[in-house]
Amino acid sequence: MVKTEGLQFKYPGGQAFEFPNIILNSQEHLLVLGPSGVGKTTLLHLLSGILPASSGSIVINETEITALDRKGLDLFRGAYVGLIFQQYHFIKSLNVDENLRLRQNFPKKTMDKERRFAIAERLGLTPYLKKKVMQLSQGQQQRLSIALGLIHRPQVVFADEPTSNLDDFNCNQVINLLKDEAELCGSSLVIITHDQRVTQHFSNQIVL
Amino acid sequence: MNLLYLAYRNMVSKPLNMVLSLVLLVLSVSLVTFVLQLGKQLNGQMDKNITPVDMVVGAKGSPLQLVLSSVLHIDVPTGNIKLKEAESIKNHPFVGSAISVSYGDNYKGYRILGTEPGYLDNYGVVLSAGGLFQQPFEIVAGNTVAKKLGLQIGDRITSSHGLAAAGGEAHDDHPFTIVGVLEPSGTVVDQLLVCDLESIWDAHAHDGGEHHDEGEELEDEEHDHEEHDHEEHDHEEHDHEEHDHEEHDHEEHDHEEHDHEEHDHEEHDHKEHEGGQQVHDEANDTGHDHEDHDDELEITSLLVKFKSPLGLVQLPRFINENTNMQAALPGFEIQRLMGFLGSGVKTINGIAFAILFVSGFSIFISLLKTIRERRQELALLRTYGLGTRKLLFLVLFEGLLLALIGFWLGWVFGRLALALASGYIESGYGYVLQLNGPDLPELLLFGVTLVIAMIAVLLASTSIFKLNISKTLADV
Repeated sequence: MVKTEGLQFKYPGGQAFEFPNIILNSQEHLLVLGPSGVGKTTLLHLLSGILPASSGSIVINETEITALDRKGLDLFRGAYVGLIFQQYHFIKSLNVDENLRLRQNFPKKTMDKERRFAIAERLGLTPYLKKKVMQLSQGQQQRLSIALGLIHRPQVVFADEPTSNLDDFNCNQVINLLKDEAELCGSSLVIITHDQRVTQHFSNQIVL
Repeated sequence: MNLLYLAYRNMVSKPLNMVLSLVLLVLSVSLVTFVLQLGKQLNGQMDKNITPVDMVVGAKGSPLQLVLSSVLHIDVPTGNIKLKEAESIKNHPFVGSAISVSYGDNYKGYRILGTEPGYLDNYGVVLSAGGLFQQPFEIVAGNTVAKKLGLQIGDRITSSHGLAAAGGEAHDDHPFTIVGVLEPSGTVVDQLLVCDLESIWDAHAHDGGEHHDEGEELEDEEHDHEEHDHEEHDHEEHDHEEHDHEEHDHEEHDHEEHDHEEHDHEEHDHKEHEGGQQVHDEANDTGHDHEDHDDELEITSLLVKFKSPLGLVQLPRFINENTNMQAALPGFEIQRLMGFLGSGVKTINGIAFAILFVSGFSIFISLLKTIRERRQELALLRTYGLGTRKLLFLVLFEGLLLALIGFWLGWVFGRLALALASGYIESGYGYVLQLNGPDLPELLLFGVTLVIAMIAVLLASTSIFKLNISKTLADV
């Protein structure tokens, strides 16, 4: 499902990173642990194809994304990859439901209203569907970003520090939500974190 | 959820930015469309009005004034000419048609024009109801006049002296009867009440026979007024004697119709009134006793249509050099007038286009700002699978939406301004401005607006091509 080989990245005129090979089967999850500054976010950006690798290859769902051009990469990412960012990113001029619809719409149009309402219901967002995203609380924004990462049933979801800034109770809840949703969608989950509380939830781990 | 909707939401999410971009665009578009329409319509109406007249022959004075007064009926006349002298021109071999006009009275602000039936033929105006005037004091009403004043066939109207609505002395003893109403023609005729020449002469002929008429050439402009003044005064004198009117009546009257110059006359006249009008004042000694002799009949001007183009070359010069009259060419005079106004119109257009470019610049700045502020959202859209081209479309849509709304609003405001101006111009000059749909120059302007918006978008969106998703999304 996800397979990397000899993955390297060098920032222009700066730090160089070398990453261990990853092999992840379909619907398996992976936890990538490591302290700040070892290139966790860089790895996530490489895997999700928003940062081109300096060398090595990444294969996701039988597609070697390191060989795709920019346009192909955009389309591939839109269809098969879900991203949950450390900083939440939304379209601020749209409300919660419209943000979800927008994510459903590209690259191929799927106006699956039931899917939207179901995921909103499970993540406790139903009362806020018509709200502007900036009016949501921190926790609601977190749940919305999970919904946005999974609504289009991606093959693999990459989550960057999803539990930082959360207390223990919420940390557990978010991890459970992520795992449950990923299960429901049949997606693989790759979580990148320095948060030790998460380790108990995943057996498949690598440390950078 | 499509890109157009997203562009729209992005646009309205920053209302202040949007309004700022729109204000300039609206201002420039409304200015340009307003000036274009105003110029086009006034030109069109003037052309229609002057086409039937190749040359005007009237009293000496300003040729432009002669044209404005006798052809367009928006100014006061330069004076009167002798019918006999005018007749001599009629017979010139180069002259096709020559129509005498005489005026100086109004009914509720609409001019009463004494003329020959050929006047209406030349303008191609036909009756919509009733018949043509057959005898003195029968009158046909222009379409606008009839509509505005609700005039019906058979109505009796009393003309007032002077060309303005208020204050004129009424010719109570000579009421006109409406015998016909004219079809709308989009020419000055719509604004006129038309009767025969005798009516005008007769209406002013009841003022005794005391005055001598000579030397009308002494008083070139205002001649007509003065003349009418006399008549008025004469009337007043009569009135005085008959009804014991108060003095200030006259003063008011004169004031409204005529210039300062006439104050003197008024005083004189008043004295005269007291003294019984023999000591008629020096300069004003013109003749009005139309009925005295046919020789002394006067008209305001003669509207000439040439039979041969040679007339255009020879006649004006001949008349100006060899007679007490002057000849003016409406086409030439109006062109000259438009030349004066043209620089004003050009200036306004220049300013409007400058504003248009500034508004393009403001759209550019606003979009540039938007793109910078939304860098992360654009990067997010890239992770959603939208390519660079789609992001470009997104910004393009936003810019074009702005341009579209701005143009539409500007166009509407331009028309509103035209409607406002129409009321003003109609009351002042009797010209009605039409509120037309968009015409070709406006469509061109629309194109220019879109192109400017497009350039603004492309200049502003260069950063989209260089967007570093990874870095942008990782930045807090």
